[in-house]
Amino acid sequence: MSYHYNEGFETDDDEYHHLDTLEIDRSRPSQKFSVLSENPYGSDENYSNVRQRRMDYPEVISMASVQPASARIQHAPEHTALYREPYNGGFSNLGFENENERDFVDKPSFISHSQDRYSDSFSAGGDGNSKGSIRSLSQKQMYHSTLPFNLISTEHDIVMERVNKEEKYALIKKLTAMSNRERNKAIKKLPLVLREKQEIRNTVQLMVKKESKTWATQTGCCADCLKNTTVSFRRFKETLSEIKQALQLWQKTLKVIGGKFGTSILSYFIFLRWLLAFNIFSFIINFSFITIPQFVDLRPNNLSFTGLELLTGSGYFQETVLYYGFYTNSTIRKDDNFAPYNMQLAYIFIIGLYLVICFLILLYSIAKSFRDNFINPVMYSGSATKLLCSWDFNITHEKAVKLAQQHMSTHIKEDLSEKQEKLVLTSCQQTVHFLIHLTVWIVTTGMAVGCCAAVYYLSESRKELLVNATSDIESQRESLLQPAVISLINLIMPFVFSLFELIEKFNSPKHQIYTIIFRNVILKLSIIGVLCQYWFQTIASGTKCWESFIGQDIYRLVVFDFIFCLLGSFVGEFLRRIIGTRCCKTLGKPEFDIARNVLDLIYAQTLAWIGIYFSPLLPLIQIIKLFILFYVKKESLRMNCLPPRKAWRASQMTTVFIFLLFFPSFIGVLVVIGVTVWRRTPSEECGPFQGLNVPFDAISNWIATITGEANLSWVVWIYDNLIKSELFFFLLTLLALIITYLYWQIIQGRKIMIKLLQEQIVNGGKDKMFLLQKLRKLQEMDGFNMSHSSVKQYKASDKMQENAQYSRDTDHHQGAQSGALALAMQARQQASAEEHEQHLEMNSHSALALALKARHQAEVELDDY
Amino acid sequence: MGNKQTIFTAKQLDTYQDCTFFTRKEILRLFYRYRDLAPQLVPLDYTSKPDVKIPYELIGSMPELKDNPFRQRIAEVFSADGEGNMTLDDFLDMFSVMSEMAPKDLKAYYAFKIYDFNNDNYICKSDLEKILNKLTRHELTPEEVCLVCEKVIDEADLDNDGKLSLDDFQHMIIRAPDFLSTFHIRI
Repeated sequence: MSYHYNEGFETDDDEYHHLDTLEIDRSRPSQKFSVLSENPYGSDENYSNVRQRRMDYPEVISMASVQPASARIQHAPEHTALYREPYNGGFSNLGFENENERDFVDKPSFISHSQDRYSDSFSAGGDGNSKGSIRSLSQKQMYHSTLPFNLISTEHDIVMERVNKEEKYALIKKLTAMSNRERNKAIKKLPLVLREKQEIRNTVQLMVKKESKTWATQTGCCADCLKNTTVSFRRFKETLSEIKQALQLWQKTLKVIGGKFGTSILSYFIFLRWLLAFNIFSFIINFSFITIPQFVDLRPNNLSFTGLELLTGSGYFQETVLYYGFYTNSTIRKDDNFAPYNMQLAYIFIIGLYLVICFLILLYSIAKSFRDNFINPVMYSGSATKLLCSWDFNITHEKAVKLAQQHMSTHIKEDLSEKQEKLVLTSCQQTVHFLIHLTVWIVTTGMAVGCCAAVYYLSESRKELLVNATSDIESQRESLLQPAVISLINLIMPFVFSLFELIEKFNSPKHQIYTIIFRNVILKLSIIGVLCQYWFQTIASGTKCWESFIGQDIYRLVVFDFIFCLLGSFVGEFLRRIIGTRCCKTLGKPEFDIARNVLDLIYAQTLAWIGIYFSPLLPLIQIIKLFILFYVKKESLRMNCLPPRKAWRASQMTTVFIFLLFFPSFIGVLVVIGVTVWRRTPSEECGPFQGLNVPFDAISNWIATITGEANLSWVVWIYDNLIKSELFFFLLTLLALIITYLYWQIIQGRKIMIKLLQEQIVNGGKDKMFLLQKLRKLQEMDGFNMSHSSVKQYKASDKMQENAQYSRDTDHHQGAQSGALALAMQARQQASAEEHEQHLEMNSHSALALALKARHQAEVELDDY
Repeated sequence: MGNKQTIFTAKQLDTYQDCTFFTRKEILRLFYRYRDLAPQLVPLDYTSKPDVKIPYELIGSMPELKDNPFRQRIAEVFSADGEGNMTLDDFLDMFSVMSEMAPKDLKAYYAFKIYDFNNDNYICKSDLEKILNKLTRHELTPEEVCLVCEKVIDEADLDNDGKLSLDDFQHMIIRAPDFLSTFHIRI
């Protein structure tokens, strides 16, 4: 006996194996038969609580219940090797040997047996009295006769099965208590083999049926009806989700892209598809509620169509539903049978509604992606995540796999070399670095300001030219200059900015990419800001039908942006590839610059959003643009580009991009449209709001007309008390601020808590190491005595492990902290006390006998149970 | 579409739906994918639950897995016999876990199993070395491999036992938001 233990404890792995078995062995007594188990620790109750609570986590349970099967296979040979030799020397019980051999060597059959047993017992409703227990009974008798030998090895299988069974039973009970939907969700989440999941599901359903039967007899047909409704509702939901999937564009193409280039590039295309969905939605509501009613009241269009209009958006298009100016301000009424359609209200409400919905969707997306990706207080930047979490299972293309592997190895090599020679900068070097950064910032900001000024003066001078232009065609041609210049700036400046990278040497790639994004955003959005200033100051005051004019400007910008985007992909990717592969081989194929491309998309979307007021059908143009862009980029990617070499934190960057789309882009758009609706006088000869002081008067006038009507009084009340009242908005803001502050404080508290818990986990690990060391010492001192006390010590160390784990599981549980710590301390004291005892208590034979007796009793109890 | 197909009974389909993250249509699609791997082995009628297994060689040749360095481990982890031979149930199970809908915990659990080459419930140094070699095609020197493994354990091992337990692993996964999208096989 003592010999085995000594053998077993020599290597780390074996120690852990025994530790496992002991934990499982012990878990039964401490849980159910706390009287039986000789319990030296006063806090066992606490512990079994912990255990019980752990049972509440399906993941944890099932881990224990699935793993052993494979674990046993792994350990089987070890055991045979360990146990057989001394066995042959000492005893000659042949029957036992056969049993033992069979159990260890024929593991697969044993496992399948045990699985059958589960299914049997479960199909019988969790009843333990099937053939399984008979089999285990006969096995148990054998264990009793040869107990000292396989006390740890074989018996634990049986006990473990029981534990598993019981855990499963508890799980099933818990599932039965859940609501239908939750249960389905929980079952899906179980990390079990499909067949076991099915069994659990069937058992649970049986039990639920049994329970509901008593209930159903009371309520009668009502329950049936309810059940039918839920079933049909479920079917309906399934169909909906299927339709939704069918509607999702480019599913297959995305799969191919993901397979070839990995998730990071895929995120660009998914972003593009997301924007497309925004535009499709906007187009549908604009078209159906603004444009279609206008078709009823169509004015004849006398302008000729030459083709140039497709580029400029003016000319023929001026007199179409494309622009604000074409819409009428009167109520549309085809004949007296139909209710009148108030164009003013429709226009303002539809656009308002769309913006509100966009706002909510954006807010939701940001919040969700922040929660998923930025919640962690500390990031692992190091090799652990790189190695274990970064492999992209999406990649299915052979070349891509090779490339990814290459990148991975170069990355690791770089990392290693960096760590080895991390140079410390002197203060002089630091100053130089700082000065370089400062200069580059000044230069780039200066360039951005210069671009903005150029755009502004160009626009101003162009206006005079437009007024003085002799013919229509000429003015159209003149009008193309401004969007071309702006798009050119947008195309070239990012390349210039990225050249500065060579001068500035950033320490971290993260730093670098954020800087570049920030500079580009400043440039693009300040250009749009300058344009808005020009539109509101110059155009809005002195031009006839200025809204349509702005609409045309935006149309041209959108179209030119599209053209330059294609050009950019031709020059930047196609020509670059030709140069890289033919002329200058060292350059190689270009990388796909995700950041630049996404910023282009954000810029285009900002334009489209601003334009929605001035040109309600602009989303259509944007849809076409995005659609073509998708295919162009896909082809260009396939032919010309490589996936980015640097690790791209796709989900974090997506968060950043969604945030940029929200602020400044969308918020800026809201401001622009808000100013237009509340502050600018609409043009007097065209558009739905002609003759009003500001467009918002349309709503005030409408409220005035319905004030008398009794059934619409709630609308008037809402308008008077909520929309017009400053007090309401003041209170709303106050409330939002208070809630924000509260949450902020909670976050601070949690951060401290997480820190403490982390420290505690580390301490738990230290305690474990300490105990293991003690144990080893004891083994050297005395072989036989140890077998008794090691059990206790293991209990102690186990307990701490459990506690550590428990506290990790429930990060927010405050009570766990002090409890776990106290327990760990107690265990440590106990362990040292035990050490003293050891010397006094030489009759450990009796202790062992006692333990065996307890075990025996436990077995009997188990059977009774 | 429920009426036309006779591969599964309605009850079977319901069960599959409840136990995986797939809809009816997807389950059928996956069945056809499964059957295409070995049309002579797999019958078109699953109502009587035939005991059919597709050997690993065929599973591993699927385009979704063919070039994945971990394909053998994936097949082993998800197959009931532990050798990569898969029944339809195993097959559905595998793609259910690798689907978009599966939650992080479940994915982390199976990722852990996939990385745990020697099935000892810990990712230890030898496992890490194997992972590293698979990820880099044996391009690193043994010293480099050793260094990286030490670093990984140093970083992620919370309780200082020299190897990564499932808890350590899950803890790490929480901090790697990309994991959810990368541990995903589109089918």
